[in-house]
Amino acid sequence: MQSRRHAPETEDTGIDLAPMLDFTTNLLIFFIITTSFIKEAGITVFKPSAETAINRDSGNLLIAIRENGDIWMDRRRIELRDVRPQMERLHIERPDDTVVIIADKESDAGMVAKVMDEVRLAGITVVSIAADPAG
Amino acid sequence: MRKRRNSGHGDQESTGIDLAPMLDFVTNLLIFFIITAVFVKESGLEVNRPTSFEQNESDTESIQIQILDNGEIWVDNRAVDVRAVRANVERMSAVSPDSGVLILAQEQAPTGVLVEVVDQVHLGGIYNITFTTTQ
Repeated sequence: MQSRRHAPETEDTGIDLAPMLDFTTNLLIFFIITTSFIKEAGITVFKPSAETAINRDSGNLLIAIRENGDIWMDRRRIELRDVRPQMERLHIERPDDTVVIIADKESDAGMVAKVMDEVRLAGITVVSIAADPAG
Repeated sequence: MRKRRNSGHGDQESTGIDLAPMLDFVTNLLIFFIITAVFVKESGLEVNRPTSFEQNESDTESIQIQILDNGEIWVDNRAVDVRAVRANVERMSAVSPDSGVLILAQEQAPTGVLVEVVDQVHLGGIYNITFTTTQ
């Protein structure tokens, strides 16, 4: 009795992995498509808010400016003179990138202008200033 | 010979490929993409920076808004409130419809005020904004 019940079952105990593979592959494709490799600034600043702020899908190089004038890019603090070479390097890697400058409410407009100029000198023409869309 | 070939039919029973290694591989890829996925959407306002050539000629035909170091906003040699910028822009764009707006910010002017002014000008119906800084 016992030998008859157990012996045939142990031969094919493998689970059919094909449906699980299908499911996992679908998840994989979803994540490949949605990944955009954004260069995050690495710090949070208090952004100004604006009613007419528009969402740009391709804005993926983020530069943050703190209220004391520190510039953050790619999770590191950098000097103003380093912005241009960094941008040139990233611009060569992915030419259709656009830049969003995340400036603190209290940061100087002069610093924002200087960073914008450096980015433009690196060859990136589309630069926008970040703002919260909530009015 | 023939007998052996016939016995080959018996092999067709177990033709399934072992999917387990492929599943391992796909799962690893999936984990990589889940970890690297960043869902950041930055919304922002676009402003122009003048090149040195066009700086002088655009001054004459555009509406000028000055932002001082202390955050005061001056339009037409009058200090105005942020909420009055929109009305001023609407009035002046009615006089000369295809004019742009030139924002002259002092170096130390807060970015928050700058973004508010840009937002108000957008609400006033003008999207051709040029942003320069003065000493």
